[in-house]
Amino acid sequence: MLRSNITFTLVPSSSVRLSLTKANSRSVAFPIVSSQLQTSTTSYTVSDRALESRGFALHRTTQGLNLDHLNSVFVAVGFPRRDPYKIQVALQHTDSLIWVEYVKTQRPVAFARATGDGVFNAIIWDVVVDPTFQGIGLGKAVMERMLEELLEKGITNIALYSEPRVLGFYRPLGFVADPDGIRGMVYSRKNY
Amino acid sequence: MSTSTALSLSSRFPAYTEFNQSKLLFTHLNLIYSYGFFTGSRKLRFCRLKASFWETIRSGIMKDNTPQVIEPSAPIEEQEEPLPEEFVLVEKTQPDGVVEQIVFSSGGDVDLYDLQALCDKVGWPRRPLSKLASALKNSYMVATLHSIRKSPEEGDDGKTLIGMARATSDHAFNATIWDVLVDPSYQGQGLGKALVEKMIRALLQRDIGNISLFADSKVVDFYQNLGFEPDPEGIKGMFWHPK
Repeated sequence: MLRSNITFTLVPSSSVRLSLTKANSRSVAFPIVSSQLQTSTTSYTVSDRALESRGFALHRTTQGLNLDHLNSVFVAVGFPRRDPYKIQVALQHTDSLIWVEYVKTQRPVAFARATGDGVFNAIIWDVVVDPTFQGIGLGKAVMERMLEELLEKGITNIALYSEPRVLGFYRPLGFVADPDGIRGMVYSRKNY
Repeated sequence: MSTSTALSLSSRFPAYTEFNQSKLLFTHLNLIYSYGFFTGSRKLRFCRLKASFWETIRSGIMKDNTPQVIEPSAPIEEQEEPLPEEFVLVEKTQPDGVVEQIVFSSGGDVDLYDLQALCDKVGWPRRPLSKLASALKNSYMVATLHSIRKSPEEGDDGKTLIGMARATSDHAFNATIWDVLVDPSYQGQGLGKALVEKMIRALLQRDIGNISLFADSKVVDFYQNLGFEPDPEGIKGMFWHPK
């Protein structure tokens, strides 16, 4: 769940994966899906290569993830600072996680994780993009890959809790609020 | 950052500093209660709370299918004693001498076939057993209600699964409750409420600060009565391409 305003600009065509068709000997670039490409990567709005060319590296494990730096990103978007040990425990028991590293500083700039039972349900938590790096498609990049990973595992019930301001970020990704009147609820000790 | 609702923020978790302060208070209370326990007074107090709470459930079992609203006698924070993994919720002796106990367990010992039969009874679509097994294994907590019938003559005790709830969690910050079900012939007696309430207490005792769930529109009130708030601060539950 994003904590700050995310505006998304259309990805310029140069970052769309290009391919040559066999029949066309002239080097005309078509944004066409080539049969040689993995079908999964072609559906991304921002491709892996595009991210690389802009100085970002994608990771799907905690290896190389500095928890203090991650904490700083959380704080930068308005989350409270958390106990790094607890973050470590949480990440150890997280089914999927994706993060984007800005290679120049070697710091995480985008992050998302999902917990669940591994077969039926998953909930995506802590979707964050460092405010300095917002607006260029990193949040979308992280979310698209996270969704793909969960779907590949066969998990079709994917949910999350979204702040009102960023409902518009999740909708184009395919999320629907309160489908069939289902409500997200949270336990509050003061109510009990 | 809003501080008006101290401990109730959802997928963010509560302002950590406030949470820490309440955690210290919790520890402090624990010490007081531990001391009380050794002198006997705390144990007595817990029994008094326990008796009044279970009395309402017990009376519910006696009357057939009367809707019961269980009013807890004290907020959860005051019941400091750690929840045992398995205990008897209700015990009732039938006219023919058969004693029926409803037993709560958070140990997660579930027979898959019993679970599937229970899901059938409440009308849920069938799910592959292997997937059910994985889902249970990957759940942080699986709570069950069993009915155990002891006959006065020798004979086998009958043990039937009559309720279940499970929660997934990252073991640190968030837990989400899924699949709460109670056998229709045991509904309306406060068992579902007890099941969820015990699960919440167990989760809180393990220091999981954020407990969430997704409720069908028909059961939003049920969970509200247990202390859940829908759309806290406008935060919405969203699903990816729901069917």
